[in-house]
Amino acid sequence: MTAETLIASLQLSLPELVLAVGALILLMIGVFSGDKSVGTVTGLSVLLLIAVGALVVFKGVDGTAYAGAYRSDAFVRFMKLLALAGSIVALVLAIGHRRSEPDMRFEYPVLMVLATLGMMLMISANDIISLYLSLELQSLALYVVAAINRDSVKSTEAGLKYFVLGALSSGMLLYGMSLVYGFTGQTGFSEIAAALTAEHRSLGLVFGLVFVLAGIAFKISAVPFHMWTPDVYEGAPTPVTAFFSAAPKVAAMAILIHLVAVAFKPIVHDWQQILVFISIASMALGAFAAIGQTNIKRLMAYSSIGHMGYALVGIAAGNQEGISGVLLYLAIYSVMSLGAFACILAMRLKDGRAVEGTDDLAGLSKTNPVMALVLTLLMFSLAGIPPLAGFFAKYFVFMAAIKANLLTLAILGVLSSVVGCYYYLRIVKVMWFDDAKQEFSRPAGELKLIYGLSGLFVIGYLLIGGPLGAAAEAAARSFY
Amino acid sequence: MAAHDAPYIFLALIAPFLAAAIAPLLTRALGHWAALPLALVPAGIFAFFCRALPDVQGGQALTGGYLWVPSFNVSYSWLIDGLSLPFVLLISGICALILLYSGGYLKGHPQQGRFFSFILMFMGSMLGVVVSDSFLMLFIYWELTSITSFLLIGFDHSREASRRAAIQALVVTGGGGLALLGGLLLVWNITGVSTISLLIEYAPALKASPYYFAALLLILGGAFTKSAQFPFHFWLPNAMEAPTPVSAYLHSATMVKAGVFLLMRLQPALGDTPAWETILPVFGGVTLLAGTVIGLRQTDLKLMLAYTTVASLGLLVMMTGFGTPHALESAALYLIAHALFKGTLFMVAGAIDHEAGTRDITRLGGLWRAMPLTFAAAMLAALSMGGLPPFLGFLAKEEVYEALVGTNPRALAFTLAAVIGNGLMFALAFAVALKPFVGPQRDLPGPHHGAASVAPPSALPGISHSRGENGKAHGHHIHEAPPLMLTGPVVLALAGLAAGIFSQAFHATFSSPMTSAIAHEAREITISAVPHLSLPFALSLVTIALGVVVYFLLDRAREAAAASLEAIGWGPDQGFDQAMRGLIKGAHVITRKIQTGRLETYIMVVFIVIAATLLLPMAIFAEWPSLPVWPAEAGIHELVIFAIAVIGLFAVVRAADRLTAIVSLGIQGFAVALIYMLYGAPDLAFTQFMVETLSVVILALVMTRLDLQPSDHRHGREMVKDALIALACGAGFTLLLLRAVQVPFNTSLTEFFSQWSKIVAHGSNVVNVIIVDFRGTDTLGEIAVVTITGLVILALIRIRVGGDVKPADNDPERSA
Repeated sequence: MTAETLIASLQLSLPELVLAVGALILLMIGVFSGDKSVGTVTGLSVLLLIAVGALVVFKGVDGTAYAGAYRSDAFVRFMKLLALAGSIVALVLAIGHRRSEPDMRFEYPVLMVLATLGMMLMISANDIISLYLSLELQSLALYVVAAINRDSVKSTEAGLKYFVLGALSSGMLLYGMSLVYGFTGQTGFSEIAAALTAEHRSLGLVFGLVFVLAGIAFKISAVPFHMWTPDVYEGAPTPVTAFFSAAPKVAAMAILIHLVAVAFKPIVHDWQQILVFISIASMALGAFAAIGQTNIKRLMAYSSIGHMGYALVGIAAGNQEGISGVLLYLAIYSVMSLGAFACILAMRLKDGRAVEGTDDLAGLSKTNPVMALVLTLLMFSLAGIPPLAGFFAKYFVFMAAIKANLLTLAILGVLSSVVGCYYYLRIVKVMWFDDAKQEFSRPAGELKLIYGLSGLFVIGYLLIGGPLGAAAEAAARSFY
Repeated sequence: MAAHDAPYIFLALIAPFLAAAIAPLLTRALGHWAALPLALVPAGIFAFFCRALPDVQGGQALTGGYLWVPSFNVSYSWLIDGLSLPFVLLISGICALILLYSGGYLKGHPQQGRFFSFILMFMGSMLGVVVSDSFLMLFIYWELTSITSFLLIGFDHSREASRRAAIQALVVTGGGGLALLGGLLLVWNITGVSTISLLIEYAPALKASPYYFAALLLILGGAFTKSAQFPFHFWLPNAMEAPTPVSAYLHSATMVKAGVFLLMRLQPALGDTPAWETILPVFGGVTLLAGTVIGLRQTDLKLMLAYTTVASLGLLVMMTGFGTPHALESAALYLIAHALFKGTLFMVAGAIDHEAGTRDITRLGGLWRAMPLTFAAAMLAALSMGGLPPFLGFLAKEEVYEALVGTNPRALAFTLAAVIGNGLMFALAFAVALKPFVGPQRDLPGPHHGAASVAPPSALPGISHSRGENGKAHGHHIHEAPPLMLTGPVVLALAGLAAGIFSQAFHATFSSPMTSAIAHEAREITISAVPHLSLPFALSLVTIALGVVVYFLLDRAREAAAASLEAIGWGPDQGFDQAMRGLIKGAHVITRKIQTGRLETYIMVVFIVIAATLLLPMAIFAEWPSLPVWPAEAGIHELVIFAIAVIGLFAVVRAADRLTAIVSLGIQGFAVALIYMLYGAPDLAFTQFMVETLSVVILALVMTRLDLQPSDHRHGREMVKDALIALACGAGFTLLLLRAVQVPFNTSLTEFFSQWSKIVAHGSNVVNVIIVDFRGTDTLGEIAVVTITGLVILALIRIRVGGDVKPADNDPERSA
């Protein structure tokens, strides 16, 4: 690597460099001024992430860096902005939480920034080594964040479970990658694709593919590697759960798309079958298992499993419409999910106690009609009822699946979203028809802002969806 | 009517929805008198479509429409012919009467405006169903009727029973709607046309298609659920929880007829096949008998009517399925007759309930003096329902027998079913229309005003009920229903009589064009109300005789029916509850089994999946590796080392506490390192020794912070299960590796290193060269990592020395 290429590489990866240096500075600030600096560090983290987002938008150019290990194009920038936005909102959601719960230390924002750095690198990863390293950077930060509330048995248990299962999946991913490397002799995505031909793929390579997909399925909590999700969602502090529900999923989906749409493109029939299976299993489990839930965080966990199944429908389609459908899906899902978690964070009784039962929402329409209305909109949207944003998300991926002749997948998807309506609508019913037992305290300003914005987004998607759709389409064109 | 009428037709089709929007405001302004202006909307639609009668009579079909979603070639298009026009007139005409009726029935109800709005929306949806030409438009309106009927049945939403009935109706008919969509899409796929008017030309291709049967079953799924055919009939009687005007409208003339309408509509395209002519008559016949028998055991007027409706729908489906000219004529006649007399009887039942305060037939009697007009309307309707001349019902029944008698031997069973069914319906007709009015006057709860409670408290069939128990009102307060409530039954009852008397004009206007449209060829109906001696007439006499006998033995028949139904003890109604409970229970079971919260279970699932992904593809594609031959030159020392490795592993598995397990794992690792050494890789062996030593030391150090008591709590069976999973995974990985080395590797790397090692790095050991030269920076990085790890361990140990930390409590039983 000559000096010129190194400088070019550094310039291309400027956002990540800024983020990495910024994270270390924030860590130093935290270490030297102790726990009283939490507010400062959180605020600075948000500013840092916003600055990095601006860099991505205004300084983003296409190209590859570090001898092809890093890449930047329209798709990468779209996903990075989505991940950054998810992290920023999750950080903002934590502000009020910190005021009433003492479990948020200054490490929390720093770890979030580090996890975001991992995500940005994941999204940019262009070979399997950089993919694995960035994935681990993100995962290690997330393991710690899940257990951030060290004094809570639930939180530590969640963190430990996440760690053990995550380590297992990383092992599978690595094993699969070594098989892929062994049978193609390449680590770069496009080089792997060049070395592969659909006719002469060897069995060992297919096993490698299966293990790689299994490892990633864990990260996006798809069946059958979803088991950690409900426990971690319930056990982790709610702002952490909110964080888990959006940005990491975006990053993991980005590497999945990179892998199947670039590296494994020649063997589309092999991975398509696997993704179709994972997708159907996730949609079905998400729909049926959520019915019995009474804890709203667990319910959101099953909902996220189901939604990842729907997003996989688009990837499984393996065409440009599918990819742009997935991108839209992730964007819309992130907004809905963060909005729903803002509402969940607002479920705090007058005495400061946070509650998580679906029954605790009873009579919300009388005690806080605005929040009830927003949550109703979000639930309708998550259920995919037109004309809200969630409907369009599902519509695009199903259309892509139909175009790719995956009719069974599309039909099963529609059926499971019908079953899924049951539990979303049950929450609506509890809010509007059951009698209130208790009243929540007034939600903090930033929560109101976030759930208000997401409510507006889902209802106004019809009007504002055009530019977003155009951006997703442009991003998807990076592959075709 | 001509082509330039298209905008007006469109306006007529959306007018009900517009009226529905203003209905609440109008009701707020006018109170229950809002019924009058609102009734003008359906009346206007009725009058407007009457203008189409001459054209349709001449065998013409009015078609038209707009392109709706051009990109999918979906149009909003209508088809108004001999079949849909009578439906349109029934729907709009009865709707006008029902609006008036509910103006009186729900007078003073706080939600009356909403009720009007729902009824009008329902009417709009129903009109859409019958005039739709395009499949998708049909489906959308079809589901709209399900949704609006859900709102109507659950109108009194504060009561559990009506909520349950509403949800049940929605699930059954909405689910049927999805089946219908599937069927229509399949038909679309087979023929390539998406409009009903074009479909008929493609009928031969459709019937020859291998997907014909699947499409037929799906479409029948839609029609049978909507038209309450056995075994989907249960939602209809439960829907009697709705206010009576709803029952009179939805469950006599309109919604439940949608399924029959669809069958008639598709008869030219799908009918005339063995499947069609078997399934429809059998289900229809069973429904007819089941409906009348269950109807016999009821004591609630509305429930009796509901079950006779089920039975009549069965008769209609049966006759449509027969498909012979006479059978289709009879279906057309019976359909119109039924709408007229059943609508009347439901409204009468509502009037009785409204005035007398109860609908329990065992408590009612002697009302004729108080309610003479109601009584007259009821009698007219009952005579038609019983099939006596000169009423329209008589013509229909004669035609049914005409169609069944002497056609083929198969028809004998259906003839028998028709005679029994009609006989029991005769008895039930008079039980509803005569019993409450004659006999001694009883002490009754009396009228209820302020209509806050609109629906009956009787949720369960057969349980007698009463209302207005406050004792204020008694029998002597009972008087004739208000005029708003009388208009409907009287008009409908008279229409039934007029149609029978002026049968030739009626046939020319309605029944002949209707039959022609169903059969898709010109037909002329001639039957008149003058009795003529023939076999069908004899069957009519038998029917009436049977009906009279059952009427006089009604109490005993009721007991017999109740006893036999109780002996069965299970019906689809319970089945519905069981299915719903099963869904929720199933969800709980799934979460309990998969989501136990125990990490062990999760890991087990992951390993099962790993074993399956390893072994299943090899098994399915028969890609087993060829097993390696044991090397002949293997010496005893190699065998011993292998044995040590295996013993080490066994010790790990059997170890009771963690320290033993770690040390045993070390044994296995050292044995593997020895094998590397023996096979000429001393550097690799050295690395392995290092790693093993380090990991044992590090793990042992960590263990000093933990509770070292034996903590394996598994039982024998669990151990066996775990062992099996572990063996499966191990076998899978072994086989995979064997298989992997037997297929050609990508050799570019091997070639590169063997070619360049000597030249570039001056080393003959490729592995050494890779570690030291080609990947020198990696090695440096590894060393750095090991150093940092060592530092961290040092820090941990120093904390241990300084702090007073208790060992962690890791007993899973205690912490759980």
